[in-house]
Amino acid sequence: MDLKGLSGGQYKPLSDDGITTIHKAAITILEKTGMTFESGLDDTLTMLESAGAWVDRTQGRIRFPGKLIEEQVKKAPNRVILYSRDGKNNLDLTENRVYLGTGGAAIKVLDLETGKPRATTLHDIYQIGRLVDRLNHIHFYLRPCIPTDISESDYDINMFYACLNATTKHVMSGVNNEAGLHQIVDLASMIAGDKSLLQKRPFISIITSFAISPLKLCTQSTRIMQEANRLKIPVALSAAPMSGSTSPMTMAGTLAQLHAEQLAGICICQLTQAGAPILYGGIPGMANLKTMGYLGGAVECGMMNAAIHQLAHHIGVPNYNSSGLTDSKVPDAQAGWEKAMTTLLTAMGGSNYVHHAAGMLESMLAVAYEQYVIDDEIIGMCCKVLDGIKVDPDHLALDVIDSIGPGGNFMTSEHTMKYMRKEYFPGNGVSDSRSRDKWEKDGGLDARERARKLAKRILSEAPTSHISEEMDRSIRNRFKILLKTA
Amino acid sequence: MNTFQPIIDALLDLDKQRVITLVRDALNNQVSAKDILNQGLIAGMDVVGERMEKEDMFIPEVLQAAQIMGAAVEILKPLLGEDSASANGRVVIGTVKGDLHDIGKNLVSMMIKSAGLEVHDLGVDISPERFVEAIKSKDAKILCMSALLTTTMPMMKRTIDALTESGMRNTVKVMVGGAPVTQNFAREIGADAYAPDAGSAAKAAKAMVQP
Repeated sequence: MDLKGLSGGQYKPLSDDGITTIHKAAITILEKTGMTFESGLDDTLTMLESAGAWVDRTQGRIRFPGKLIEEQVKKAPNRVILYSRDGKNNLDLTENRVYLGTGGAAIKVLDLETGKPRATTLHDIYQIGRLVDRLNHIHFYLRPCIPTDISESDYDINMFYACLNATTKHVMSGVNNEAGLHQIVDLASMIAGDKSLLQKRPFISIITSFAISPLKLCTQSTRIMQEANRLKIPVALSAAPMSGSTSPMTMAGTLAQLHAEQLAGICICQLTQAGAPILYGGIPGMANLKTMGYLGGAVECGMMNAAIHQLAHHIGVPNYNSSGLTDSKVPDAQAGWEKAMTTLLTAMGGSNYVHHAAGMLESMLAVAYEQYVIDDEIIGMCCKVLDGIKVDPDHLALDVIDSIGPGGNFMTSEHTMKYMRKEYFPGNGVSDSRSRDKWEKDGGLDARERARKLAKRILSEAPTSHISEEMDRSIRNRFKILLKTA
Repeated sequence: MNTFQPIIDALLDLDKQRVITLVRDALNNQVSAKDILNQGLIAGMDVVGERMEKEDMFIPEVLQAAQIMGAAVEILKPLLGEDSASANGRVVIGTVKGDLHDIGKNLVSMMIKSAGLEVHDLGVDISPERFVEAIKSKDAKILCMSALLTTTMPMMKRTIDALTESGMRNTVKVMVGGAPVTQNFAREIGADAYAPDAGSAAKAAKAMVQP
């Protein structure tokens, strides 16, 4: 059942008035309060100043005239297509079309054999990628964890290589610096054939955390973002304030501040390269006010992330955001309800590119192999909701009702045969709906155990390298590739 | 009842006016500033730290308690010796190189200060060399390092290595913390202590300097 790119927008946490009020509030924030910046952004400041922004270098403030923002935001494309390499999982990001996938920078993984947390490795990025390649409802592969077993200077090229080897689905990740960005663009260009082919059908894209909330430009990430704009590689403008610590305690205040940060980021991108493909990247979160940690599983995260799509849609830019986070440490009932709530709300909100939706645990610190299998099921069910209930003569089945008549049954009707594989969500096998007897006979496994079995089965199959042997040799000759496959 | 209980209670009620009035009254009654500080305000903050550790208190309330304590200390300051805090021990604290996150670090800094120690907060993105330099120039006995990013955690080890190279490792206790940091990680990199929250960090710092 193909449930990609269906239309959300059924859930609207903000009224039309609410949207325009927040948009205006964000412009006021940029005109009055402004953004601050770290040192080392001189070129960016000069660019903004000559475009009409008010830059105060001694106080460290950039104030943006509303007119400048509105002009620049108009230049951002309202549709960005992120390609897969086999063309089967292209992500057509526009309007209310919904795609969901992985995300994160976890440092722990629940080991598939022991079930216990251990440090994540480069091999985990590859193995999780193989799993994602085979799970139909996970629409893209955003690097989910940190390869803690290799040196930081080898991260960028090796993370992208491991992802691209494991799956043909679209690959996204952050990079450490501009040199890393150039390296991964070179790698992807080799695979694409050349750079112009990559730019035409970008099957990789970049995340940059350009803003440190509240309202501060991060030098390194802003520079990476601008360089990606120049290279015409799509970039997600990630900013992730937490209400109560790095944004106001209230949801409306958090959204207004985050929208302001996004508008400033989009303005910088479009001044750098008019028409640069970008994703509005607001990820509103909540602080755990008892620890100041991240509260990922809060239902309000689902509400605010749905609102983010409304704000991005209002300015005509596709969006990137989050769902499926949980504060639970293991794939248990809490993980289940927190994930299902936020993913359903975010999907029904119409969010275009929802990351973190699969695999995450422990407020973003951990991932688990079996969780990807469970979340594939949750995402599939949420997307099924978007498909809605079709009402047309054939679906209404008046003829069938009449021919079966009162007291009959529909089990052997042609109509049943026609729709039984289409009308209802089939699931990936992790949901158990058998009798207690049969379930007990099979060991009485709970959802986590069943998911582990499925994950193990997929990973025990012979790996398919999605990079040809010849290409692999050229890549390994040119770059320091550390992944050992098969 | 402990003479200082009313001050402790007022602090826990986050009633600034009452704390200030009680501190002034105590001074008028010839109670020593040092006792008011140690047995009243710091004792009160110890309770705050414990509640924070148990997650019985919201952090914004903890911050308010620390602000009230700060205001009360201002009144006591002229009467306390110059070195009352430094006598308890000097702490150098900062977020490691490459990491710009400071909310947690600031909380720890504030709680240790409230526990009566002298704190030198170097800020964020602090290189191993700068940590070592500050420990030397301030004659600090405790080094606290924070990291939020999984990518900057290795910098904690590098800083401890730099401390060892400088020959000061044996005279300085090292405490680490931050969301991805764990007790195991602290042990692996050779730190002396790990604190999961600011309340336990303050408690651990106090224990480290106790004679």
